[in-house]
Amino acid sequence: MKLFVSEGNPHCLKVLAALGVTGVQCDVQYVNHEERVVPFLSRPTLPALLLPSGLHLFSSNAICRYLFEVSGKDSSERCNQWLEWEATDLQPALLQALHMAVLQGKGSEVSKVLQGPLNYLDQSLSKGNTPYLTGEAVSVADVVLWAALYPILSDSSLALGECKSVKTWFDRGAAVMCSFQAAAQKVLQGKGLQGMKSYMQRQPAPQSSQCRDTQSCNSN
Amino acid sequence: MALRELSSLEKFLGLKKPNKYSTQGDKKVPVLQNNNGPPLVGLVTIACHLVKEAKRPELLGDSAESRAVVQQWLEHRVTKLDGCTKEDIKTILKDLNLYLQDKVYLAGNQFTLADTFMYYGIHPLIVDLAIQEKEQYMNVTRWFDHIQHYPGIRHHLPPVAVLRNRIYTGRHH
Repeated sequence: MKLFVSEGNPHCLKVLAALGVTGVQCDVQYVNHEERVVPFLSRPTLPALLLPSGLHLFSSNAICRYLFEVSGKDSSERCNQWLEWEATDLQPALLQALHMAVLQGKGSEVSKVLQGPLNYLDQSLSKGNTPYLTGEAVSVADVVLWAALYPILSDSSLALGECKSVKTWFDRGAAVMCSFQAAAQKVLQGKGLQGMKSYMQRQPAPQSSQCRDTQSCNSN
Repeated sequence: MALRELSSLEKFLGLKKPNKYSTQGDKKVPVLQNNNGPPLVGLVTIACHLVKEAKRPELLGDSAESRAVVQQWLEHRVTKLDGCTKEDIKTILKDLNLYLQDKVYLAGNQFTLADTFMYYGIHPLIVDLAIQEKEQYMNVTRWFDHIQHYPGIRHHLPPVAVLRNRIYTGRHH
């Protein structure tokens, strides 16, 4: 089994965090952004996991779920729901936010696109009244969301509104996933958001309509 | 659309009592009220829940690897296929065509929920393809035809004619 990641790619943070938390043994290879690891995809897609069967997984969430399952932790329905929300609602908003903060130098406007999803997460955490998203223990949902939000939440220069429960949950995660900090340093090359610049420059510009949908969806 | 897919899935699974769904947001994300806890939100989440309710876990994959592959294609369906632009369509079909080159189903040799929902999602794209394009994406067309003839799957969707004689002969060496 072999995991392919690249520097500056925020999706790679998720799988490295999952690897750290689960302790699954796996080769990790850093490759260039432009490397086409998955033979059937026309666009370079990272991270990618080469499975023992020879098949490639190309979705970071599916890779994280797999790492949890082979370490004996099946994901619950609640986890599934968070992973789906992360992929369909949070990611389009995050892409837009990173585009603004990293490429356009509009860090101050990031909260416009992210406040909706962050409020939703905050409400769920405070209503759930458990230390982690799906209960008393760290699940794949915590790892995926935590790593997805890491570049934004660990940058104190971004003006984000008060989300107390999110902050408490994020800080708790930082304590649990200490092995992850080193990997995050490597992926972001110790440069925080700017470490993603060359990756972001190669991504298609986000569609603004998607982000409008995300916002209105979460305000309901 | 999503609600019709869930109702077709219920019929396929043979669930006796149809569920009542609502939707939330502009994207009309399906919501299932759950007697035992908070509501379930999202097409993939609800579909996987129905499969478990019907005690058909093999539809989610029969090994850790195939379960990961199934989840990956379900995610691909709701993130890439839904709301894709005209330019995306070609890439999606080209990549899927290459992927299916040596496979009967998305998770290999076993029919899963990934086939069902990729079929539902790709149906509008296939309807619009010209004959030449159907030939260009031969593996997709073969897989699509296979799934639309799979017992109990098609339900709310009209059948799409694919030219069997031209697809199954010729091109092979």
